[in-house]
Amino acid sequence: MVEYRSVTKKYPNGTLALSNINLTINKGEFAFFVGPSGSGKSTLLKLILKEEDPTEGEVFVNGYELSSMTRKDIPLLRRSLGVVFQDFRLLPNKTVYENVEFAMQITEALPKEIRRQVPMSLALVGLSKKAKAYPNQLSGGEQQRVALARALVNNPSLLIADEPTGNLDPETSWEIMKLLAEVNYRGTTVIVATHEKSIVDAMKKRVIAIDKGVIIRDQEKGQYEDEVKNHQIYY
Amino acid sequence: MKLRTTKYIIKEGFINTYRNVLMSLASMGVVSASLIILGFFLVITTNIEHNTRFLKEQPEMQVFCNPSLDEHQVGMLQWNISRDERIEEFEKVDKTAAFEKAKKMLGDDSEILEGLDESIMPVSYIIKLKNSKDYEDIVEKYRNYPGVDSVQYSKKAIDFVNKILRVLQIGSSALIIILSAIAVFIISNTIKLTVFARRKEINIMKYIGATDWFIRWPFIVEGIIIGLVGAVVSFMIIYLVYRIGGGSIGNDMAMLELVSMGDMSFQLISTFCMLGAFVGALGSVISIQKYLRV
Repeated sequence: MVEYRSVTKKYPNGTLALSNINLTINKGEFAFFVGPSGSGKSTLLKLILKEEDPTEGEVFVNGYELSSMTRKDIPLLRRSLGVVFQDFRLLPNKTVYENVEFAMQITEALPKEIRRQVPMSLALVGLSKKAKAYPNQLSGGEQQRVALARALVNNPSLLIADEPTGNLDPETSWEIMKLLAEVNYRGTTVIVATHEKSIVDAMKKRVIAIDKGVIIRDQEKGQYEDEVKNHQIYY
Repeated sequence: MKLRTTKYIIKEGFINTYRNVLMSLASMGVVSASLIILGFFLVITTNIEHNTRFLKEQPEMQVFCNPSLDEHQVGMLQWNISRDERIEEFEKVDKTAAFEKAKKMLGDDSEILEGLDESIMPVSYIIKLKNSKDYEDIVEKYRNYPGVDSVQYSKKAIDFVNKILRVLQIGSSALIIILSAIAVFIISNTIKLTVFARRKEINIMKYIGATDWFIRWPFIVEGIIIGLVGAVVSFMIIYLVYRIGGGSIGNDMAMLELVSMGDMSFQLISTFCMLGAFVGALGSVISIQKYLRV
């Protein structure tokens, strides 16, 4: 699904964000990218969206090698993915329904299909009743659910969430995480970058820990921090 | 592009224009002002061309005999012309041809020729010179020739009119370029405001997979609306001014025949609309480009 082959990313200002990353995320997986700010986890996600190109190495998404992809094809790549951001990124002058609908409009989907998919997607995140509300009339958690509905409306095979709970209180964070788990249960591959320890620990999913641009740990059913390391702290 | 996408794009374009209504109006004003200046030139050029077109139809030199000359006398003149080395070629216009031409020129008024025949018309010779510098000598020579009534020389006037027209044409071309550049600059600044206000939206659109053109089109529509409104306003102003002002000039100078606005209006409005739309679209494309690089 997503594969990084010897990926190194150096930003023009000289920061080495990633160094020689080799990583594969398979279809149907749920993976956390964890690590402190500036560790490189956001860069990993930006590479998938082709917002950034690797300085060295290759990134494969859905079988496509991204550095050989032309600028013209980037929209097609992004339509095949669902993206959720920390700051929701909803269009403020469109209603909940229109925000979700918009993601389908840009793909020139049939109106019939739009009328079927948008309510379905809103129902999935439990916001059918708020379809006519505007984003500023919603709570943070609700806004993030709208963003999630928008990300899912085109039935992407891969969902990427960059700090999806960063602006939310613990309880709402849990709601969002449960939704992500459900999406994953239905067959979508999910990648979440976060530094919410409690959530990562409770979810018992694959955890890829990154620090200073290097993968320091990759565990199935992992925890935010290495248990051994914890022992060292406590004893 | 699908119909519903086109609809979406046009709707968004109108909404954008309306959201920035003051700046849009300012830009429309600039487009109108530019087009009015341009239109002024076009109207003058058209009128000069119209009022001098008869000059162009005239031969550069024509020698008219007295109508009472008999064939022998005319033959003498022709012999003389044919031997003149400064003349490249000549053409005889006989009485019949002259009579036909007179009838044609008079048009509806040709009844005044009734009861007359071609014998009243003069035989004339259309002469082409090898070198136009010789014209003074030749005019002088034939004017004094016995039996010649008059010699007309119009090349100088034609050249003069052509020169003026050329200056005007170059002037209006230069004006089109300068004024378009100004209008593009102003429109692109106006649209930059819309783009700037909506840069977050553009960014979101890019992230969820909108193509550049999908984002660009509504702004182009906005530019075209500004350009077209400017074009229509300037056309109406020119139309009214010409109607009112042109009428009084026409009365004062009876020899000037003003081109009617009806004849010019199609040319004017189509030129204005094309220029306005082009300038508006170009302004948008320029201003949005920066924000599409995500």
